[in-house]
Parts: sequence; structure tokens; C-alpha cells
Amino acid sequence: MEPVLRIEDLRVEVRLRDSVVRAVDGVSIHLRANEMLGIVGESGCGKTMTALSVMRMLPPRGRIAGGSIRLAGKELTALTDAEMRHVRGNDVGMIFQDPFTSLNPTMSIGRQIARAARLHRGLSRAEAAERATDLLELVGLPHARQRFDDYPHQCSGGIRQRVMIAMALSREPKVLIADEPTTALDVSIQHQILDLIDDLRQRLGMAVLLVSHDLGVVAGRADRVAVMYAGKVAESGDTDALFAAPRHPYTEALFEALPERAAATRTPLYTIPGMPPGLARPLVGCRFAPRCRYAEERCTVEEPPLAVALDGRRHACFHPVGDPPQPLARPAAGAPQVPTVADDAAAAVPLLSVLGLVKDYPLASGAMLRRREGTVSAVADVTFDVHRGETFGLVGESGCGKTTIGRLIVGLEKPTRGSIELDGEELTTLKGAAYRRARRDIQLMFQDSSTSMDPRMRIAATLREPLAVQRVGNLRERRHRIEELLGKVGLPAAALHRYPHEFSGGQRQLLSFARALTLMPKLVVTDEPVSAMDMSVQAHILNLMRDLQHDLGLTYLFISHDLAVVRYLSDRIGVMYLGKIVEVGPAEEVYRNPAHPYTKGLVDSAPVADPVIERQKLRSGIKGELPSAIDPPSGCRFRTRCEFAQDVCAEVEPPARPFGPGGHVAACHFPLARPAGVTASPAT
Amino acid sequence: MTRYLARRLAHALVVTLCVTAVVFVLLHMLPGGPVRASLPINATPAQVAELTRQYGYDRPLHVQYGTWMWNLLRGDLGFSPQLNMPVRDAITERLPKTMTLMVLGIGASLLIGVPMGIYQAARRYQRSDYLLTGATFLSYAAPVFFVGLLLIDLLAVSFRVFPAGAPQGDSVAEILSQPNALVLPVATFAFCGFAQWSRFIRSATMDNLVQDYVRTARSIGASERQVLWVHVTRNSLITIVTLLGLHLPTLFAGAVIVETVFNYPGMGLMFWQAAQNHDYPILLGVVLFGTILTIVGSILADIGYAVLDPRVRLTA
Ligand SMILES: Nc1ncnc2c1ncn2[C@@H]1O[C@H](COP(=O)(O)OP(=O)(O)OP(=O)(O)O)[C@@H](O)[C@H]1O
Ligand code: SF4
Ligand code: SF4
Ligand SMILES: [Mg+2]
Repeated sequence: MEPVLRIEDLRVEVRLRDSVVRAVDGVSIHLRANEMLGIVGESGCGKTMTALSVMRMLPPRGRIAGGSIRLAGKELTALTDAEMRHVRGNDVGMIFQDPFTSLNPTMSIGRQIARAARLHRGLSRAEAAERATDLLELVGLPHARQRFDDYPHQCSGGIRQRVMIAMALSREPKVLIADEPTTALDVSIQHQILDLIDDLRQRLGMAVLLVSHDLGVVAGRADRVAVMYAGKVAESGDTDALFAAPRHPYTEALFEALPERAAATRTPLYTIPGMPPGLARPLVGCRFAPRCRYAEERCTVEEPPLAVALDGRRHACFHPVGDPPQPLARPAAGAPQVPTVADDAAAAVPLLSVLGLVKDYPLASGAMLRRREGTVSAVADVTFDVHRGETFGLVGESGCGKTTIGRLIVGLEKPTRGSIELDGEELTTLKGAAYRRARRDIQLMFQDSSTSMDPRMRIAATLREPLAVQRVGNLRERRHRIEELLGKVGLPAAALHRYPHEFSGGQRQLLSFARALTLMPKLVVTDEPVSAMDMSVQAHILNLMRDLQHDLGLTYLFISHDLAVVRYLSDRIGVMYLGKIVEVGPAEEVYRNPAHPYTKGLVDSAPVADPVIERQKLRSGIKGELPSAIDPPSGCRFRTRCEFAQDVCAEVEPPARPFGPGGHVAACHFPLARPAGVTASPAT
Repeated sequence: MTRYLARRLAHALVVTLCVTAVVFVLLHMLPGGPVRASLPINATPAQVAELTRQYGYDRPLHVQYGTWMWNLLRGDLGFSPQLNMPVRDAITERLPKTMTLMVLGIGASLLIGVPMGIYQAARRYQRSDYLLTGATFLSYAAPVFFVGLLLIDLLAVSFRVFPAGAPQGDSVAEILSQPNALVLPVATFAFCGFAQWSRFIRSATMDNLVQDYVRTARSIGASERQVLWVHVTRNSLITIVTLLGLHLPTLFAGAVIVETVFNYPGMGLMFWQAAQNHDYPILLGVVLFGTILTIVGSILADIGYAVLDPRVRLTA
């Protein structure tokens, strides 16, 4: 059958002041009716440019320099602008990454959809409004009629993305292009949106081009996958086959850089050396050669074609991995790889002890939010310990209070109530010199290192600053210390004389890490240190954090929304929901045998780069949206989204109960596992 | 909303007190004085002193200010000896005429400036955009009185198309019944005003054109024209409404000059004559009006913004 979309040898050029970037360089892909094709690859590999080419909506300086794009028999590259406008929306729809900016802020969501439905169709206003309401229902917006007149700013990110989908599908195009449709959303909402797209694909029989940097996002839903590298397709094939046994060394490297695959064994992640090549210069040979561990002479002079191999898959490599192909060894499900956490760990005095921590933010009378006065309950009675030398991971979706906890512990905020003890010393009541000294022992590695460094200060000064503030050592000792640290994070000493903007995001994160270590703290609080990083950069930073922990005996409080990353790095994790820790325990234990329904939902929502696992999780996950922290639900805060909720959940706050060894504790009335003590053996 | 207004009114009161007090002091520091000006050149010092006492100008400044304020609270703005009428009457007679001129002038400059700015944004960085940009700089560079005199010289003296003077009369109806005479004052106003509106609109439109929501509109197949008129223009006009409110005082200042150049019988002309004649009560009255105009303008800007932009709510 002729595919609905066939891209042949597509070339896209972006003209810069003095060079031409070949953003897409000979890409050929096709998409059959009702099929989902995933395009994955790291930042800058040309995914978005490929997608925008199909819409013929390249940025002002970009142009399609060659190749063909056939959509349902039409050659798009040959259409006039007016004809192309007719194709957009009618034959192909697109949804974009950022639902927060992609809708017109001054037009109600219903009207925006109605406009989309009317374009190029002779619908009357009333008919269009009717259709828009139907579409809102189609994309799963409850009470669509009431929400018709809502403006985008009154909607959450998930709802806005639903509205985007409704607009894109308003005239039932045959092809939907989704460029990172869920990257800006929380995992539970991401899961819902991906399910919705998949569901609509089946119901409307359309084909979907799903672009993502996240292998897990495409794993469970795409029928086929194309992996892009430096403007080219490195490899493509059936999702199952490709995920089970990648053939291209780049794909293989991506998989080995995934924390989730190494979480059980906790082996170091594979890091791809170097950086992708710049696309402004002509490139000879295999583009991956400088970073490829199998590269040989031929690879640097000759370009491997994207050839169909004997097994029907395509890859552009002279030495494909596993030739002949063999399935990747997969750890058997349920294998007893749970690291043994000493049961007496609980008995030892913890390094950090957080007890009944509460942080309420008063709502300034009317600031932006009208009328509503009261308090935002950001952290509500949180208790946990962090032991010496361990990594404690705090995981939860945005707005759950993880960052606030981090800021309270480093002393950037004052708690409303509760105590924070470091080494047995109460921090919340310390003052003056004692306070300053105690502060030295806890350092924060910032979430966004690009804004947390003074852009006009050289790196040397930035790194020296904490030492100077705390009056540690003389000038020579300080210099010595920061040079040593820079070496430890793997940056050359020459970096000291450069400015923050001269570094990549990953390198800045390393610098931020080095700065956190200058005072030799006992505890390092890291807030989302690797979010927004490419997979290979993330792997490098995670490896380094683990190595330095070992070398320097560091203790980490690791905060992240990414369950896979938290699980990989942490010995124990705490799962947060709306200001509460709902479950704590050894990482693997919590991940494999979650007792709290929210933890289970989080595990199900977090995408895993394994089609088999992902398919089992389809249409599971967490329903609904995060309620406001201004008036959090009574009793169990999760009850509004919990499928097991009973009346008692609204009345009585569930107490924390033990569930297993290593201090596995969860707070739920109707847990998914039997509490310890009810029966002798923990859940298997 | 009520709270917002209450806060703004309180704010307005303080500003009015401060501005009038400062102007009061400054006026009294000027040489000459109202009494000297209202008497014939050959008046004796005794006559001057007598009149000074009569008008109460010999009392301490704060007492004078207190009296003025007290009268103001009772709705009495004072009496202008030069015009021989209460200041309030003078202002209420001339205010509608000035408003007429301002509305016509602002309307004309918006009528030219807004479409021009949108056109320029649609043709950004093309030749027509650059040409129109040149025209706007001309308008920026030319002072109001210069443009007014130039137009008089060209269209009234050399070519006699329009009368050189503005329409005369006591009422707005009379003014409006002489449209020919209105052309030059309004044209001067428009010529000096359109530039800023077209620049504002051009940059607001260009900002909006690169927003993600415009990309969304294109992705559903909207034409550039639809993108521009349905999505972008509304968002750009929001900026203009705000700016209009904030620019009211500047526009009033422009009206003063236009009225002077064309001898238009509005508040501006009265203000200018009062300044020459040391007619303090009138000067104070007009300054008070300017202050109120500034405050009203910024309140209108806020309200307009809140009405047009659903994201904005008035907060105290
Ligand atoms: N407006 C632009 N001007 C110049 N170069 C651009 C522009 N947009 C993209 N590029 C270049 O084109 C190449 C491909 O970019 P593209 O946006 O398609 O990558 P991507 O795979 O979508 O990456 P990401 O994951 O970051 O979205 C990159 O080298 C990028 O630097
Ligand atoms: S062609 Fe050579 S350099 Fe390129 S991926 Fe294959 S082995 Fe590596
Ligand atoms: S306490 Fe009730 S509502 Fe809360 S998670 Fe447990 S079952 Fe669900
Ligand atoms: Mg992209």
C-alpha cells in the first residue's frame, strides 16, 4: 500500500549570516495510514526541521533545498503557498511542544478551535461552535460546553495541549505531526496526552509522526522508529526489533546511556564521547565516526548509506552492532537485584533529619489571583532521614514541593514549622556565626545553572566566591582547591578564565557541581541537575556524581521529576505528592513494589524505553489533574485522583505505615501491598 | 475593581495636592505678578499695593494655598480678573472645544498610524517598510508649531485652500460648523502624532508575529492576512489602548501648541494667554486639569487593558 506520507532524500538548509546549516541532509522516511512513526534523536539532529518541512513552515531563513515530500499523492514541495495553506489542517495537522505559548492568549479556547474548524470549510459560526464543543469532548475535556469560553491562561498545560490537539484535528487530517508534544508536561499528564493521541489515531484512523528526544515516549506507541543523528537517519525499523537489538552504534550508545536500563544493576552509564558535529561545514565519512567506538579507517572517508539489511531493517553503518543480530540481554522481570540495604541503617544517627517540616506561603492579598486569600501549602508535615554516604532521591511532579524542601534545607527559605537537623544540630534556630558555619556543610547545586552564575564573572571568580565568603584558606589555597575540583569534574584548568556563556549547558552543570563542592560540604542538595539535558550529557553527569560520591564520601539529596534518573542514582527514594511524602523506602523496593497508589501511577506513567513494558502500561497511569495547593483536599491529598479512594480517605489523613525492610513506609488507607506486621512476609 | 478604584483615587488625591502645591510655589516665585499685569503701565505703587491686598496676594503663601484648596473643595476655582470671569466658567466653556480638537486629532493620527504600522509589520524589512519608516522620522523630527506654520504658509497663504485661522465660536456646534477651518489644525495634530502610533503598532505587531500562537494559526492553514487581522492585530491594539491612556497629557500639551498656532479658542490658547498675562487662577486651574487628565488617563489605560486582555485583572 502506498504510504500516506513519503519523504524522499529531504534536504533543509538554514542560511546564517556567513554559513549555511544543513539541518536535514538526505532524510527518507515514510508513514503508512493509521501508523505511528517515532522520530528520536538528541537536540539539534534535525527532528523539528523534518517535521516543519512537511508543513512547509520552516523558519524564515530555512528552505527545502532538495528532495520530495509526497502527502496522499500530492507533491508538497511543488505546491503554491495558497495550495499549501489548504493542505495544512485539511491533510496534515501539527501540535507543538509548548502548550503554554502555542495558543492565542486573548481568544477563548472554544473560539480558537471553532476558527480552525471553519477555515477552508463553509461552516456557519454556530456549526463551528458546535463542532468545537464536540472536539473538546473528543479530546477528553469534561464539561466541554462550560469550558468553551475559557481563555488559555485559565487552563493547565495538559488542557492546553488537548486544545491544541483539538485544533489540529478539527478538519480530520490524515496525518498528525506531534513535535515533542509532552516534553513540557508532567509525567502523569504526559501519559494521558500520549494515550489520547494513540486513542485518537485508532478512532480516526490517522497516521501520526511522533517526534521526541525521549526513547521511552515512542517505545510503547510507535509502530516503527527512526533514529536521527546530525541531520540524517541513522537507523529505522520496527519498534520492537529496534529496541530489542539496535543495529547502529549510535542507537546502541543511546540505550546504554539510559539510567533506567542500568538502575537495577547500578553499573556506570555509557557516555558518548565528544559532541555532535556542527552542520555548517561539509562533512565527510560517517557523521558518528568521531564518537563511535567501532569506527575504523573506512568510516572517516566514506559515508555509509542507509541500506536495507538482510533482516529488513535499515541502518547507515558499515559495522552494525550484533551482526548477526541477537536479542539484547534483558534482566528477567522480578530478578532479585534489589540492593541489600542494611536493616540497621535506620538505627544509626542520620546525617540529615527532617521532622514535621511545614512551609506555607501566604497568598498576598490579590496578587494576580483575585479575591482568593489564604495560604499555599507547599510542604505539609514532611519527615525523612538521609544517612551518611547515601543518596536520597525526592521524586514527584511539578508543584509537589520538592524544590521547596531543597530550599528549606539549604536555608534559602525559613520553614513555617518543623525541624531540620544536620549531624544532630538543629539548623532552623541557628544564628550568626554558627549558622554560617553550618551552612557550609550543605550546598545546593542549582536547577538552572545558566541563570545561577553571574554572566560577567569568570569561572575562577565564581568558584572562588563560596571560599571567600566563608573565609576559607588563603588565596593560593583557594586557587589550588578550585583547580583540583575542576579536574575532578573533568574540565580543563583553562576553563577558569572563561565566562559562563562560553560553556555548553552540560558543562555549566558540571561547573555548578564543582561550585557546590568547593566548601567540602557534608550534604549536597541537587535540584533537577540533569533535566533538559541530552541523554549522553545526562549520563556523563550522573556517572560523575556517582564517582565523586564514592571518592569524596558525599551525601546527596537528589531532587528530580524523572523517576528513572532518581531510581538510578538513589539508594532510597521519597515520593512526594502535593506537599506530602506519600511513600519512602529503598529505591528498587519502592519502584518494584509500590504500596501507595500514587507511586504506582508514577511508575506506570514514567516512560521506559522498552516496548514490551510500555505496552502493558497503556491506559494506566494517573487520571485527572493536580489539585490546587491553596485548598488541598482533606484527608488523603491524593484522593481526588485515586481509583481506590473511599469515604474514609476524605475524612482521615492516612498514617505512615511500614511495608517492608529498609524502612519502606507508605501513607495510604488501602495500600497496594500488605503493611508489614499484618503478615510476616513482605510482598514478593 | 472597587478596591482598585479606591486605591487609585487616594493616590490621585495625593498627586493632585503635590502638583498644585509645587505649581503654587513656582508661580509666586516668578517676577511681575498678576496685579502688575492687570493694571495699566502707569499705575502707582499705592494702587498696586491696594489691589494686591484686595486679591489677598499679600498673605503668606500657605494661607493662600489653603484658601485656594478650600475654595476648590467647594467647587470654586477662583476668579480671573483678566478674563473677568470665574475660572470654572472659563474652563467649562473651553474644555469641550479642546476635547473636540483632541478627539479629531488623535482619531486622525490613529487612522493613519495604525494601518501604516500594520502594513509595515507585514512588509517588514522590505523597501516599503523602510520608506514609511523614513516618513515617520520626518514626523518625529518636526516640531508641532513648525508643522502648523508650514501648513498655514503652504495651504492657506500660498494656495488659499484652507483658512489660516481655526474656527471661532463659543460652542462645539459652532466649531464643527466650520469644517474647512478645522482641517489645518487637525492635520497638524495628525502629522505630529501618527508617527508614534505607527511605530508602536509596527513593533507590537512584529513581536506578535513571531509568537508561537501565530505559528499555531499558520499550522491550521490560516492565511497571512487572517493571521494578521484575526490574531495579531487585536493583541497589538491592546498595547495601543494602554499607550493612549498614558499619552493623554502629552496629547494635551500638543493641543496647547496647536491652539496657539491657529488661534483656536480652546483651553490651550487660554493657558498660553494666561501664562503671558500672569493670570494665576487660570494657570492653576489648567494645571489642575492636566493633573486630573494624567490620572484619568492612566486609570483608563488600566481599565482598557483589563477589558481587552483576559489575562489581566485589576488588583488593588
Ligand atoms: N532558526 C534557526 N536558525 C539557524 N539554525 C537553526 C534554526 N533552527 C534550527 N537550526 C539548526 O538546525 C539543526 C536542526 O535543528 P532542529 O530544530 O530540527 O533539531 P531537533 O532535532 O528538533 O532538536 P531539539 O531536540 O533541540 O528540538 C540544528 O543544527 C539547529 O542548530
Ligand atoms: S559507519 Fe563506522 S563510524 Fe559510523 S557508526 Fe558505523 S562503525 Fe561507527
Ligand atoms: S488513602 Fe485513599 S485516596 Fe489516598 S491513596 Fe490511599 S486509597 Fe487512595
Ligand atoms: Mg525540536
